[in-house]
Parts: sequence; C-alpha cells; structure tokens
Amino acid sequence: MSRPCNQKLFVAYFCLVLTKILSASHFGLEPNLIEVEVNVFKKGFPGFSIIGLPNKSIEEAKERVKTALLNSNINFPNQKIVVNLAPADIPKEGSLYDLPIAIGILASMELIKLPTEKSFFYGELSLDGGLRHTKGVFLLGLAAKQKGIKNIFVPSDSANEAAVLSSIDVYPVFSLKELIAHLNGVKKIEKLSYSAKGFAGPHSEDLNVEFDFSEIIGQESAKRAMTIAAAGGHNIFLIGTPGAGKTMLARATAGILPPLNEEEALEVTKIYSVSGLIPAGEGLIRSRPFRTAHHTTSLIGLIGGGTNPHPGEISLAHNGVLFLDEFPEFSRGTLEALRQPLEDRKVSITRIAGSAEFPASFMLIAAANPCPCGYLGDPKRECKCTPRMVMNYQSRLSGPLMDRIDLHLNVPAVDVNKLMTNNSSLVTRNSKTIREQVIKARNIQNKRFKGLSVFVNANMKNKHIKEFVEITPESLLLLKQAVNTYNLSARTYFRLIKVGQTIADLADSTSILPNHVAEALQYRVRTND
Amino acid sequence: MTKQFNRIKGKDGEEMAAKWLKDRGYKIIDKNNSTKFGELDIIASKNDILIFVEVKFKQTENFGTPEEMIGKNKLMQVRRTAELYLLNNPDIAKFYDRYQIDAVCIVEDTGRISHYENLTF
Repeated sequence: MSRPCNQKLFVAYFCLVLTKILSASHFGLEPNLIEVEVNVFKKGFPGFSIIGLPNKSIEEAKERVKTALLNSNINFPNQKIVVNLAPADIPKEGSLYDLPIAIGILASMELIKLPTEKSFFYGELSLDGGLRHTKGVFLLGLAAKQKGIKNIFVPSDSANEAAVLSSIDVYPVFSLKELIAHLNGVKKIEKLSYSAKGFAGPHSEDLNVEFDFSEIIGQESAKRAMTIAAAGGHNIFLIGTPGAGKTMLARATAGILPPLNEEEALEVTKIYSVSGLIPAGEGLIRSRPFRTAHHTTSLIGLIGGGTNPHPGEISLAHNGVLFLDEFPEFSRGTLEALRQPLEDRKVSITRIAGSAEFPASFMLIAAANPCPCGYLGDPKRECKCTPRMVMNYQSRLSGPLMDRIDLHLNVPAVDVNKLMTNNSSLVTRNSKTIREQVIKARNIQNKRFKGLSVFVNANMKNKHIKEFVEITPESLLLLKQAVNTYNLSARTYFRLIKVGQTIADLADSTSILPNHVAEALQYRVRTND
Repeated sequence: MTKQFNRIKGKDGEEMAAKWLKDRGYKIIDKNNSTKFGELDIIASKNDILIFVEVKFKQTENFGTPEEMIGKNKLMQVRRTAELYLLNNPDIAKFYDRYQIDAVCIVEDTGRISHYENLTF
C-alpha cells in the first residue's frame, strides 16, 4: 500500500492522450500556422480549459463544442481536458478553432482515426453539431498551399472560397456527424474539385447597378471622363452644383467597370474572405468592388486598423472603385490619410501586435460642391457665399491630395427643358456599350502589363512609362508647352501622360497623339477657377 | 425538497465517503468540522499527508455532475477553512508537513464514487 502504489498513481496521473490538430489563423493577410493540442487526461479533476491566449469568442468555444458533441450523440467526457493553442504567445481570436478542438477531443477519446496525411481543420460549430460559414477560408487554402498541406476540412458553406485554389483537396463538411463518418471510413465526403471559375452568384458576374448611363440626360463630357477613368483606373474628382447629377454619374460608373481578371479576382477574394464579406456558398469574387463611404466614416474605418489589423474601405475597394460623396465634408485627418495609399497603392498598418500590409489599389471617385451653398459658378443661380467662406471650403481639400487625382471635372447643371424632352438623339449610349469600350481598353492594358502586377495605366510607375508609352514628338511638344505655361508639377506631368495613354487605348491608337494630350489637359487640376 | 432535506442527504454522502476512504486505507481524523468560513467535510490522512476532503453528493446527474459544483471559489473556501483549522488545531498540524485538498463525488442513482486527489485551481 505504500511506495509501489504511489508510483503507479503517479504514472497513471500523467498518462496522457494527446492529439495535435493543425489549423491556421491570420494576421492581416498573412496566414499563421496554429497547432491545436488537445489532451484528455485519464485521471484528474474533470474540467475544460483552453490556454494559448484565447479571447472571449474562443473561451465560449467550450460550450459550443460541448453541446455540439452532445447533439451529435457523443457523450462529452467527464474528464480533465486541456486545449493548448500553439504558438502560445500569439493572441488568438475568432470562432475557427471550434472544429479543431472538437476533432482533437474525439481523437483523444479514440472515437475517430485522424487522416494519415497532414490536414487542416477549420470552422465554427453550431449547437446542433453543424458547421457554420466561417470567414477566412480562402486564406486557410493559401496557407495549405504554402505549407504543402493537402487536405483541408472546412464548413460546406465556405468551401467554395478555397476551391478556387489549385493543388489542394477541399472537403466541405456539413456536420460533425458527417465528418466522424468520413474519418472512420464509414461514408466518405465528396471532395470539391478545383474550379477556377468559382461559383455563380451575386458576386460573380451579375451587375447590380442603380443607374444606367442612358438614364443620365446630357452630361456627355462627364460621361466621357467617367469612361476614361474607368478604362484606365484613374482617380476622378467631380465638382458641381447640387442636383447636377454627380452622385448619379458616380453610381452609374459601377455598371461600366470591366470584370476582374484572374489575378485581380484572387487579390480581392483574399481581402473579402478575411473581412468575412463573402456570402455563404460563394467562391471567387468576379465583379469589381464598388464601395461607398459616408463622410462620417472614421479614419480606421476608411484606412484600416485595429489591434488585430482589419482592412478598411480603401482595401475593400482594392481593384475597384471607392466613391466618396461630399468629399470636403470628410474630416481633414481622414482625407490626408488617403494621400499615401493613393500614391503607393497599398497601406501598411502597424500596431503593437505587428505590422500588416493591405493592398489598396483603388480608383477614387470624389464628388463635391464648389462652395458651401453649392451654386458658385452656376449661370442661373447666385452664389450666396462670401469669398472667405468659399476659400475656407475649398481649402479643406489640400493641394497634395488634389494633385493625386488625375481627372478633374466640372459637372454643370442640366437645362430643365432638356430633361423633359423625349428626344431619342439625347440618349446616346447606354452602360453596356460603354462597358464594352472600357473592356477593350483594359484588354490592351492587360496585354501591355502582363506579369507585372500592374493592371491599369493609372498604376504605371515612371519606369513603366519609359518602357511602354509611345508618344509622338508633336504630342510631347504640346505637353511641354502646357507644363511651362501652367507651371505643372512633375507628378502632374506623368499623370497627364498616363491619362493620355488611356485615351489612346480607348481610341485603339498605339501612340499618344496630340489630340489625346489635348483632351488629357482638359482634365488637369484647376487651381484658380 | 427543502434545505433541511439537502442537509440530510449531504450527511449521508459524507458518511458514504468516509467509509469509502476508510476502506482504502485512509485514517479519518475529523468530520464536519465547521468554522465561520465554512465546513470541512472530512479530514483524513494517508502517507503522512493531511488531506482535506470535500464531498459532493448528488442524487442524479440530470442536473449536472457533482464535479461541476466544485469550482475555483469552492476550492478557495476549502483552502481558507483548512488554513484556519491548522491554526486552531496545532496538536494535529504539528504531525504533518504536507497538506492537500481532495474531492469525493458521489452520485446516488448510478452508485458512482469518484475520488480526485490534490486539487489545484
């Protein structure tokens, strides 16, 4: 009764049933490999503890896992269970650890056989034992691809996100019961085959647009400018009286954006997957994002941030359009924060936890009134603002910010008589024909920048301009004259060339002709209007 | 089903636990030693260790396991009470260098008796 018994007790106490399950989390857009270690003790006071810096949502996983197992007709063991999320020094968040914890417990209880190949388990459990749509599955797929892990087990609602990646096997799991049957070889889960096209749905091709360009009466020059902007991904600034149609023009632009190419679509899907903005069942995002932000949007909401950095609106508009209506109403800090991402096409956010980089290559559409009352420069109505008020209003938009916008456009009020006439000659082109034009110009650009991860003229670096842009001597002369007469900055000079290139692409011309430069010059910054 | 009834049932449980421990070579030193901080269900000893045993008795597991009723706070209470006991009974305390807290969980309808040694929190 003395020594031997004690020793036996000692051994029995530490007799472990340890299981390690692989999963992945992410920091910014970088995946992190997480090992979920589950130990069900043979002896010890019953309890369930999760360690490895879990946050509240993971603490609550205890109750989800417990109930999900019970509802899958498995008796939750009345034993001591310790779950460790390794590496232990990285704070963990999210509901994605539910499935690995549940699988770990089942494996420790020897109720399932783990697959011999390395596999990822990922997903949130529902109390009924089903799996819920979980954000970030696309990133998990990328992590699997990077680390050479073949199998990933993910919720069936989210599986399409990962299915757009080649060389991994995606198992869509509907419920815990189904997964247990699969792992025990009772009934196999059909794996999803690689589908580059993704899945059809509202995010794939169907354009859901409020306005068609044919609905906008007049404003032909504005429509032309929007076409150029959409074709070359140029930032555009619309200025005009209230009710002139600025907002309508901007919203109609969503309908003339070309579809995303393969590379762009993957970038956008990555950001949307991390933000949890991909609806259940959807895969690759095919249509270009069109994001709008109200002027009360916070700096963090627009640029991105947080303790564990999340992408902001500028990143959600990556490869698409960010529409900021009532541009001068945004707070000064918010507007100036746009300067660096507008130039670098990415934003890097540094917090204590580390630094995350989000792509932010967006086309900015900004709309504003010329003065507080809105009627400055209107031919019919008198502006009631004092010069000081006008100056105050316009000085909210700093020079450096304006300098980063390629196209500046006045949107004059439309004659009311024109609105009522049902003259068919006014309805020139609808969004569909304009979109075809834009797609044609984008195809030229895609061919030009193949393999450079530059997709549009607006994103050309100066070295690309030297390499690709062909400009006739006459055009160059005209451009130089303009620079000297108007004292244009070096950046404006290069931007004029980029806009000229887009106009040339739209005209299907191999080099920039003088009339292209002349048109580009129309849209430059007007400081002293 | 009153507090009184629970108390009687609890006493039954303590009797069962004491018998169970005795059968396994534990020496029972004291039972139901109560102070103003709380009660020590059983004080036992084995292998020169003084053991404070918390007994949890449940008629059925329909409303949760007895183990669930022992949490961090309960253990803290037992520990404080035990410390007070050691102060009040120096003639017992002087024989022991090591102390530990155990729990005995009893479920009446299934007849399950589980003994957990050296609980920490």
